[in-house]
Amino acid sequence: MNRTLKTIITLAATVFAGTALRAQNVSDLIISEVVAVPDSVVSFKDDFGQANGWIEVFNKSQGTVNFGGCFVTDDIHNLKKSSIPKGDLRTKLGPRQSAVLYASGDSRQGTFYLNFKIEKGKTIYLVSNDGKSIIDSLGVPQNLADGKAIAKFANDKKEMIFDDIHEADPTPMSINGKHGSESKSQIMAREDPHGYTLTATSVAVVFFALIILYIIYGISGEIFKGTFKRKKSGKIDDETAAAIAMALDMDDNGETYAAIAAALELYLHDTVHDNESFVLTIQDSPASEWRNKALTFRKAPRN
Amino acid sequence: MHQIVDSLQQFWQFTGFANCQIVNLIMIVIGVAFITMAIVKEWEPLLLVPIGFGMIIGNIPMFPGLNVSIYEDGSVLNILYQGVRQGWYPPLIFLGIGAMTDFSALISQPRLMLIGAAAQMGIFGAYLLALTLGFAPNEAGAIGIIGGADGPTAIFLSSKLAPDLMGAIAVSAYSYMALVPVIQRPIMLALTTKKERLIKMPRPREVSQKEKVIFPIVGFIMTAFIVPSGLPLLGMLFFGNLLKESGVTRRLAETARGPLIDVVTTLIGLTVGASTQADKFLTGNSLKIFALGLLSFIIATTCGVLFVKIWNLFLKEGQKINPLIGNAGVSAVPDSARVSEVVGRESDPKNHLLMNAMAPNVAGVIGSAVAAGILLSFLG
Repeated sequence: MNRTLKTIITLAATVFAGTALRAQNVSDLIISEVVAVPDSVVSFKDDFGQANGWIEVFNKSQGTVNFGGCFVTDDIHNLKKSSIPKGDLRTKLGPRQSAVLYASGDSRQGTFYLNFKIEKGKTIYLVSNDGKSIIDSLGVPQNLADGKAIAKFANDKKEMIFDDIHEADPTPMSINGKHGSESKSQIMAREDPHGYTLTATSVAVVFFALIILYIIYGISGEIFKGTFKRKKSGKIDDETAAAIAMALDMDDNGETYAAIAAALELYLHDTVHDNESFVLTIQDSPASEWRNKALTFRKAPRN
Repeated sequence: MHQIVDSLQQFWQFTGFANCQIVNLIMIVIGVAFITMAIVKEWEPLLLVPIGFGMIIGNIPMFPGLNVSIYEDGSVLNILYQGVRQGWYPPLIFLGIGAMTDFSALISQPRLMLIGAAAQMGIFGAYLLALTLGFAPNEAGAIGIIGGADGPTAIFLSSKLAPDLMGAIAVSAYSYMALVPVIQRPIMLALTTKKERLIKMPRPREVSQKEKVIFPIVGFIMTAFIVPSGLPLLGMLFFGNLLKESGVTRRLAETARGPLIDVVTTLIGLTVGASTQADKFLTGNSLKIFALGLLSFIIATTCGVLFVKIWNLFLKEGQKINPLIGNAGVSAVPDSARVSEVVGRESDPKNHLLMNAMAPNVAGVIGSAVAAGILLSFLG
């Protein structure tokens, strides 16, 4: 039993640790796009209807990344200039998802608002939640046209390497690059044209799911069968021995001996048919129709 | 008099006779064939009768613009069809399936779940073949799910991945489910020896009520955590089973496995049948889908049986599994389990495999729902 418990705890801990590590992998974030001065007519506005400069953060991994607790700055000497609050579920970015941070100059406006405005010629840094490690940076050119963005483009969408940086039209909340609008099916057609990867992955997952159920129900089945119950020692306890002695003293005919022998056989070899609760009662059985009329009544709602 | 003749001529233009094409007649004949199979042979009558009649409804030639066709927005059939297009009929059917399925055989022999996993190879075999034939990955995924031998799952996934192919996929899935005894028996006999077919398996142990109640809760949590995209199907399946096993929701369980599933089955069958309008159904792609569907059933059955044979190599005498239950890993509850029983009894009239075969059979339902979830997450 101890060994089984240890196995379960180890498995659970591994799964939990794996999940936790996956969720905290902020190194997969990049600053994918920055707009310093938005277009005065057509622009991406914040929740207050204001057109400020903005920074797009993109999760290039296949897992969920939470950037709550990270910092954004335009000052290499002050890496904790503007912090992203923790505890907001919206800071969790799914695979290949992005979020826009508004450089309004007032971080009290909400989770996605920074306490500085973007200036041309400066570099924007995304800093890890330790306040020391720079995750990614993007320089804003001095000559960046108003209404234009400086953006990173992925030439290799499979590896998600964003090594092409140039000025472009702003595309907030969407993947930069030529494959940005591809459907999952199109991506799969390009990355796995013969379907071998998807097949291998899917078969593995189906087996994994059913193996997990097999293990769980295997263990629970053993528990319910009583495999892990402590075995009877085969010895008669003192109370039983005293009862047998008393019975033998009172009556010494053969029938008594036979009855005691049969009872001992059943007791010691656990061949008793079932364990009775010895409680006699009338219970409300769902299989019984005895109060069927009552079952059809609707209960009055409580106030 | 002239006006009357004009009116009659105008009326004639609205009739089915004036708009009839040969393809309409072909589809009507297929519909009649489905109904005949259901009534005469009793092959899946609860599905083939509504689908067959739906085919006739959907292929009555008519003048466009009358707002009665299933593809015309706002028509009665179109409104009923939304349950298929939006994918909310299949989860309701899964609710009923959960409420009528006894998972005892599976709970008592959890090792047999792996057969249910092996038989899902039919899905992925068909997926690979469909890609080879030039289908896009989303279409290939929708076609592949036919190999899960589970009509509601096939409709659910194809409505999400390839709505245009849904009619052909659904009809193919249900047709081959009806033909399970015909397809599986020769494969089972070809792949097993006489000695293997005589393997006797112990009767599954009695399962306590507590185990039955715990099963849907734990089963749902585990599978949904692994494949959240399978939530609608897995959630309803296990919820229905909890209604059945909890012992305190008898009326809900009876409704789910009785009137509710009957109503939804009628509607799903009728609307899927009606969606097979000749111009959308009689295409080269439909023929390919039917061929791939048949292959997927063959692959699934073969993999299930072979998996047991290979597994037996590692099992001690007395623990060996009769490979005749390998076919039951495809869903098609309970038909494929019945096939195991029938073929098993042909070799040994005293060898009853039904209860043992039910374990991989219901595991196949879970497995195909999981597979659908995976395909949806990758291709949806």
